[in-house]
Order: sequence, then C-alpha cells, then structure tokens
Amino acid sequence: MNYFFPSTVEEALGLASGASNPKYIAGGTDLSLQIRDGVFSPDTLIDLTCIGELKGITETGRGISIGAATTLSEVADSEVLPSTLIRGARLVGSPQIRSLGTIGGNICNASPCGDTLTPIIALGAILRTVSPSGLREIPAEDFFLGPKKTILKEREILKEVIIEKQFLRGSSFFKKIGRRELQSISQVNLALWLVMDKPEGVVSRIRVAVGSCAPVPLRAVKTEAFLEGKKLSDDAIDRGVAVLLSEISPVTDVRASLSYRKLVAGTFFREAMKEARDDSEA
Amino acid sequence: MIVDFNLNEKDYMVDVPPDMRALDLIRDVLRLTGVKEGCGRGECGACTILVNGKPFNSCLLYAVKLNGKKVLTIEGLAQADGSLHPLQEAFLNEGAVQCGYCTPGMILSAKALLDENPSPEEEEIEEALSGNICRCTGYKKIVTAVKAGAKVMREKV
Repeated sequence: MNYFFPSTVEEALGLASGASNPKYIAGGTDLSLQIRDGVFSPDTLIDLTCIGELKGITETGRGISIGAATTLSEVADSEVLPSTLIRGARLVGSPQIRSLGTIGGNICNASPCGDTLTPIIALGAILRTVSPSGLREIPAEDFFLGPKKTILKEREILKEVIIEKQFLRGSSFFKKIGRRELQSISQVNLALWLVMDKPEGVVSRIRVAVGSCAPVPLRAVKTEAFLEGKKLSDDAIDRGVAVLLSEISPVTDVRASLSYRKLVAGTFFREAMKEARDDSEA
Repeated sequence: MIVDFNLNEKDYMVDVPPDMRALDLIRDVLRLTGVKEGCGRGECGACTILVNGKPFNSCLLYAVKLNGKKVLTIEGLAQADGSLHPLQEAFLNEGAVQCGYCTPGMILSAKALLDENPSPEEEEIEEALSGNICRCTGYKKIVTAVKAGAKVMREKV
C-alpha cells in the first residue's frame, strides 16, 4: 500500500487518478478499522489532513464554511457554529476520537447514526465537492444514499460544508441517546432548526432530521410542512409528533428496538419543540 | 516511509510500513510499552498518547501521521531525575491504580485536560476521561486523583 500526503486538492486528485484503487483518508478513525477488517483494500491512501484549504472554520459572505478535514474537536469548540452542530460534534465518540476524526470523515462514512449528519441536514448545509470533472454543490439531505453509501463518485473529494446565512439565525437543538451518556453510538438522534415569528408566536421556518430511524439520516419533510405557520400549542406539537412517527422507518437491530426508537424519536421531538417555544417566549 | 518526530523530548527518524499503527511503532519498534493495546478499536483508551498535547487513540492512528509531531507517552512524564509528575503521585496516593492497564492512558488524558483547564469541575474530568475505560477500580478514586493532581499542579505554578 502507498500512503501520500498531498498539500493541495489538485495534487490529491492527481494522485487518485494515477492509482488503481485509491481511498482518501482524513483522521482514519473509521477507515483504518475498515481496512484492518478487510472491508476496503486500497492500494493507495491519500491523506487529506495536510491540505490547508480543507481545514478550519471560516466566516464568508455566504455564511460559514467548514473545511472537510476540520477535526470534530474544532467543530465542538467553535464559537460561531449553530448549537445543533456543536452539540452533535461534541457527542461523537471520546476526546481521543474527536481530536483525530474530522467532520468530512464523519459525513463520508455515512453511518445512519452519525452525530454530525442530522445537524447538517437540519441546517440545510451545502456540501461542496471536487473531482476531475469539476465542482459540485450537493444539499446535505441528498448526500446519503444508504448505510455507508453516499452520492460521491469515485475519486471525488468532499471539500467543505457550507452553512448559509439564512440558517445562522433562529435556534437549533440536538438530542441523542445511546447505551450510556458519553462515548456512545446513537440509538436515536434528532436535530431541529427553527425560526419563530415572534409577535405571532408561529413557526415561520422549521427543519427536522432524525438519525438511526431510517437507512439514511432522514429529513422529516412532512413534519416540517405540518408545523410551518402553526402556533406551537401542546396539541400542535403532539400532532407534529404523530406526523414524525409516520414518516420515519426505524428497525430493530443490535443497538435498539423499533418500538424504543419510535418512543425516543417522538419524545426528543416533543422536548426540542417545547424548548424552542420556551426560548422564543423568553 | 520515513517518520521524523519527537517522542518524549527525543527526536526519532524511523522507516515504517505505511499501514503500521502508531501503537505498534511505539511499542514494538521503539519498545515503550507503557502504551497498551486493549480493544484495538478506539473504544478503551489504553493506547492513548498525546500528540501536540491532544489525546489520540494510537491504535487508530497511522504511524506516518506522526511526521513532524511532538508525542508524549507515560514514559516521558516523569522528570529526568526520576521524580514523578504530580498526576502520577496522585494516582499512587489515592489508590487509583489496581491492575494498572488503563493507568497510562488515564493519566495522559487527565494531563491533556489539566494543561488546558487547570481547575476542572468533576463533570469536566468525567468527560475528559470518557474515552478511557477502567474495569477494576471504578472511577471514583481516579477522579479524586485527578483533582488532587490538579491541586498540586496549580500550587507549583
């Protein structure tokens, strides 16, 4: 196996096109184990963590750009990112995992329970990629095709995660449950972003995403449509929970049962909506 | 591939296979066996090392990634004259060690915390040690030892 540390994206793409079975690697917290387990047998590893333009969190005219090779610790410690993403990143693995693992790696690993995946979907993030055929911008909700499957083509690189200005206002929430409080894999997670129309007390914009309750982290579009424009009474929230439960499709697996996942997803959504309501009244 | 790095204040230049783990480089090539392999999957923290001051699971880290970095293992914690680091003293005094397998990783995670936050709350200590699993003593004495070590470190400054 060959291992390269390119210093530019162009160099990385060139190395990939010259290899027969290349893999891009960032922290490697998932990939190094998948290679040891024989899931992947690349002939070439192209390490993206020395490419300056893939690192760091920057405020731009468009919003905030997070380089794909930014570590989960840096995302967790950010003072400019929305709280749903900070909380999600803070709950990935352990301090050791977060100082090595990256947000781009968490996204490209495409686990249905990844803790930064539902936040970026709720925040309407745009994923910018680069490949020999050029740049693409993919909405986060369209990026995931199935467990461990993304829309990325061979040799395409995820460059940055863009949170647009419109999603930096409003409030956002992240809820997660695992077998224990820390260093755990999500049995269910939920990210919510919303903007309240204050004088009216109605929901003006809302986005919800649920993890571990479908083959991909799922944007709950019906729930959003149901609640948009509504006043947040307890009854409206309860009916929103019912819509949410009708559009997720959890299964029973080693981590949790179907009925437990439904119970928790509904409870998380109800709690998050009530917190959002209290916030807007405060 | 050549890895040129600093380990416990000494410079090393080692030729390693690209798929070698940092854990194997440090234990098997450089013979510093304070770094332990527990689960080998980034869950137990027995293989914790500090890279540029931050805790990493050396079982998940390719050795080539250490190039240009500053690494600390438990062997580098005591002074040159053999006197122990306050955290090591505190782990001994508080009886926070039973079988000892998790101890190097626990102490290194605690050091990374205290270097950033000299007066952590109990909850912050628990969070900082959440990637280090102990199956002997439970965590009470370990947390007490980190607090005691922190106090000594604060007084030294």
